[in-house]
Amino acid sequence: MKVLVVDDFATMRKIIKNVLKQINVDSILEAENGKHALTVLKGDAVDLIISDWIMPEMTGIEFLKACKADDAIKKIPFIMVTAEAQKDNIMEAIKSGVDNYIVKPFTPEKLKDAIDKAKARAAQ
Amino acid sequence: MTMDVKYINPFIAAAKNVFKTMLGMDLMLGKPYLKDVRATSGDVTGIMGLVGDQKGTLCISFRDKGALFVFKTLIGDECDSVTPDVVDAVGELTNIISGSARGEFEKAGINLKAAIPMVVVGKNVEMNFITRIPIISLPFNFSVNNGENEVMFLDFSFE
Repeated sequence: MKVLVVDDFATMRKIIKNVLKQINVDSILEAENGKHALTVLKGDAVDLIISDWIMPEMTGIEFLKACKADDAIKKIPFIMVTAEAQKDNIMEAIKSGVDNYIVKPFTPEKLKDAIDKAKARAAQ
Repeated sequence: MTMDVKYINPFIAAAKNVFKTMLGMDLMLGKPYLKDVRATSGDVTGIMGLVGDQKGTLCISFRDKGALFVFKTLIGDECDSVTPDVVDAVGELTNIISGSARGEFEKAGINLKAAIPMVVVGKNVEMNFITRIPIISLPFNFSVNNGENEVMFLDFSFE
C-alpha cells in the first residue's frame, strides 16, 4: 500500500511515517500542503491519503474537496487528521466526502483501524 | 492572585494521554510546585501561548536525555545530541499536548485557541508567561532506555 502523507510540519509527517511503519506500511510519499499533494497525485498512484487540516496555500478541507471533485482520484480513501479541539470541524469534512478522520494523539492500532474503515467506506 | 484547580486537571489529563498514545509510556506525576522564577525548567522547552475564554502559557520542558528519548520514540531515528530535528519533535509534542488540553478545556466549557509552538533551547532561559499569577510546575516522571528516570516539566500559568 502506498500512502500520501500531507502536513506542513515535516516533524508531524515523520511522526505519521513512524506510526505507519509500525503497522507495516513502508511505501510513503509526502507533501507539505494540499497544492503540493495534488501535484504528487498527478505523478504517482497512491492507495490512501492522510492529510492534516490546517496548512498554508491549500488547507486540508480544500484539498479534500479538490480530490473528491476529480474523477481520477476521488476513489482514493482520504483520512483527515485533526486535533481534539478541532473535532467540531470534522462535520464539514464529512459533508465534503472524507472517508474517515483521526484525532491526535493516536496509537498505531487506532491509525490502522482508521485506515481499514476509510478503505471500506471508499470502496462502497 | 491564585489559580482555580479546575485549570490544572486538563493539562494533567492531556499530558498523560499524549504520552501514553504517542510514546506508549505512562507518566507519573510528581509533586506540583509553584515556580518563583519565570524561566525554563529543562534544556529543551516547547512554549505555547493560549488565548480565548482564558489566557496563559503552557511549557513542555525536557532535559537533553529526555528530549532525545522523545525524538527517538516519536520519529524512530537515533540521535545523540540536540539537533534541530530534536527541537522540532519537542515542538510537535507541545503542539499535540496543547491540542489535547484544549479539548479537555472545551469539555469544561472553556474555549481556547493556540498559536504555533516556539521551542527554546537552554536551561533557566527567562520567559514571559503573559499572566500575573504564579507559574505551576507539574513534574512528570518517565523511564528511558534502561529504566533511567527522566522528567517532563509541564509549566503553566493560566487565568
